[in-house]
Amino acid sequence: MVESKRSKRVQKLVTYVVLIAFSLFCLFPFLWMVITALKPAEEVRSTTPSFFIENPTFENFLHVFWNTGFLTYFKNSLLVGVTATVLALLFSIFSAYALSRFMRFKGVKLVSVTMILSQMVPPVLLLVPLYIIMMRLGFLNSHISLIVAYTTFTIPLCTFMLTSFFSSIPIELEEAAEIDGCSKVGMILRVILPISIPGIVSTSLFAFVNAWNEFMFGYVFINDDSLRTLTPGLSLFKGLYTTDWGSIMSASVMSVLPVVILFLYLQKFLVEGMTAGAVKG
Amino acid sequence: MRASIRKDAQVQPLSRKEGPSRETKAKRIAYLFVLPVFVFFLVIVAYPLLSVIWDSFHDKNLLNTGDGSFVGLANYVEVIRSEYFVQAAVNTSIWTILSVAGEYVLGIIAALALAQGIRGRAIFRGIIIIPWVVPVVVAGLTWTWMLTPDYGVLNSWLVKLGLLDEPFYFLGEPDTALLSIIIVNIWRSFPFYTITLLAALQSIPRDIYEAAALDGIGPIGRFFKITLPQLKGVSIVLVMIHIIWTSINFDFIWVMTEGGPVHSSETLPIMIYRFAMQELNIGLASALASLLLAFMIIGFMMYYLYLNRESDHREGM
Repeated sequence: MVESKRSKRVQKLVTYVVLIAFSLFCLFPFLWMVITALKPAEEVRSTTPSFFIENPTFENFLHVFWNTGFLTYFKNSLLVGVTATVLALLFSIFSAYALSRFMRFKGVKLVSVTMILSQMVPPVLLLVPLYIIMMRLGFLNSHISLIVAYTTFTIPLCTFMLTSFFSSIPIELEEAAEIDGCSKVGMILRVILPISIPGIVSTSLFAFVNAWNEFMFGYVFINDDSLRTLTPGLSLFKGLYTTDWGSIMSASVMSVLPVVILFLYLQKFLVEGMTAGAVKG
Repeated sequence: MRASIRKDAQVQPLSRKEGPSRETKAKRIAYLFVLPVFVFFLVIVAYPLLSVIWDSFHDKNLLNTGDGSFVGLANYVEVIRSEYFVQAAVNTSIWTILSVAGEYVLGIIAALALAQGIRGRAIFRGIIIIPWVVPVVVAGLTWTWMLTPDYGVLNSWLVKLGLLDEPFYFLGEPDTALLSIIIVNIWRSFPFYTITLLAALQSIPRDIYEAAALDGIGPIGRFFKITLPQLKGVSIVLVMIHIIWTSINFDFIWVMTEGGPVHSSETLPIMIYRFAMQELNIGLASALASLLLAFMIIGFMMYYLYLNRESDHREGM
């Protein structure tokens, strides 16, 4: 408006250059990961690495898929991630409902403060006592330890995200349901949840990605190779197949893929959730 | 908690003639809804937190050779005197400060670019968030591969560009190991800043900018006089959260170097892990964890005081 057309155009050009530079910076490691995964061993071990793949192959993928623990790790991660997500959601839905409607009660406020505080306690500081607790309960080397840890550590964020969604639902809807003789739980299931599906989708996505990406607890709590989850499993690949980067990269591609696909598909939800979580938390 | 519910249930019927009131019922439901979450926190966060502090004053280890007796501050003294403590503390500061500073700078530049009304914004935004979605382990492995001296693509480029005479083992040399991991950490973490700052940027009213442009203030002037002050609140929260998240980060460094070579990239969380899982000494690990906790609490208190001072300041105006 005020500025000249030319300075507007320059500004636009600069914006594009910056954004393209950022995109290259963000995408290059993935691109390289995929390229390496598709290269045969001789090309991976070349002192002049190139973008061009002379003999593209799925050898690495097949090797990782059939001859390593990858499939087991993948299944374990899926199992732990889904269970933790369902549990975290189950608890968070009710606590979020309480937080969005009953903040006037002292006990509810106390729980809300507890959650904010506990979100600030770094898991690594609790590593030792949690290890001992899991050992005493006999949960070490079992998926229960991971499910409990992941559920607990994602509940705060899930609760805050859902609270912001629930708060936007007009209370009249609930009153109508209550007059029709619905119980509180029935009302949440039949009225609140159906309207909050976008919120629930983004929250569960968040919880799942958190569990899928977690490393430390999986690394420390699980010793048995048949129970290991994906992230510690991958990190151990580095020691087992030191020079076989083609295999390591194809395993990486396969473990990133579910998350990236989920993410691209539901980008809008996730961004909303991230900003809601960031502003609230 | 249950006691308070019961008490209310007893008191309320006195004031009202029959049955629990609507409010009491609501309270009962509310407490029932938050109870499971509260129990989780008592068991998985509060109890462990207290036991860390308790254990830090006791002689305890996982092999049962410690007798569990009270040893006062002995664990703390041993931690501070241990060979690599000072270096780990310095490394933690370098790691945190450089990471957060780099992340913030990249984050705000990307956010500013994305806030311009241009075509393809959604695609660029999608691409820029990707590093943040990837597991730390995968990010660490991919960059480790790109940085390898023999066949790594980055080394080959640097040699071709003439910046290096020969491939350099970035993660294997004490001088560069930590710095390399910092760059990878920045790469993975800056998108979070971008998304948050972008949301904040979009809530700045446009007419402030137009008024400033009318007054003849250029784009750079507008950035420093309007944008930055408007982002101050969000930025402080963002930086505070990340200082904590970064300083206690374990997996990045562990995956890439395990704190090596010769402890040159070892930070305090790595040291906790080493005490706990390699030396199996719970007392030492807990003492170090308690020290970190104390630092964090001090940090929070300073932040809180700062916030209070800010609001006093505002009320005074």
